[in-house]
Amino acid sequence: MGATRDQRALSDDEAFARYVLPEVDVLLRVALSRTRNAADAEDLVQDTLLRAYRAIGRFDGNYPRAWLLTILRNAQANRVRRRRPSLLRNPDAGQRLQEVRDALPSAEAIVVGRAFDATVELPTRFRHVVELIDIDGLSYQDAADTLGVPVGTVMSRLHRARYRIRTRLTAAGLVPRSKR
Amino acid sequence: MTPWRRHSVADRPLTCREVGKLLQRYLDGETGEHATAKVAEHLEDCRRCGLEAGIYREIKASLARQATVLPETTLVRLRRFGQQLAHEGPPDAPADDGDRGDGS
Repeated sequence: MGATRDQRALSDDEAFARYVLPEVDVLLRVALSRTRNAADAEDLVQDTLLRAYRAIGRFDGNYPRAWLLTILRNAQANRVRRRRPSLLRNPDAGQRLQEVRDALPSAEAIVVGRAFDATVELPTRFRHVVELIDIDGLSYQDAADTLGVPVGTVMSRLHRARYRIRTRLTAAGLVPRSKR
Repeated sequence: MTPWRRHSVADRPLTCREVGKLLQRYLDGETGEHATAKVAEHLEDCRRCGLEAGIYREIKASLARQATVLPETTLVRLRRFGQQLAHEGPPDAPADDGDRGDGS
């Protein structure tokens, strides 16, 4: 990637301040979705910021959010690889998901809660896309960069996930059946 | 990295089937200007598709309401960390293992 004319005029520190700092909120939101834990999310964003700082000289100034989400994805993959052996030995490793499930609205919740409940039942690859797009508000492209998959895959998973949520809500009598 | 290519949409009024294929992208604001106008036009006139769009809008809105409120103290710490990086460089003992992973 070659530096743009605009970026050549900036020092690395200025480029970092211009392109990276405004994205800290989005990075934290996505990190929370990916880790489901505030402390891990903070570590992940710090790691991402450090990696971005070291790489800013090679960044061309285009699509900073996509660039940062790719860094975050790589940092997260690296952390998961390093942690996996200890997680396997950790008897509490399965508890985190249960804690997340316990924190969700009850089965008697209103439609709002039911839609969210339905996401928990989705296969992981579908749930991640729904979390990034519908809950965190990312674009298709940003979600694709975060997950490291093509945009077409994001769309396909998202649409199938929503269809499943809709089917669950229909079965619960909360929305009418599709007439298609 | 380039934005993904959007599909072209015919000038004539869209059929329900065509709208069904575009509906999710339309609701996510991921259709181009022309397709957005054509889908909106169809949803105005077609009760069945309008109802379908309403249901998915409700699902989408209900999920958006589940967004976590970002922990303010964490956010402040991270912003400060980022500003320190920009002005003073990285801390003496970086947590990283030297793996670049910068996606470039």
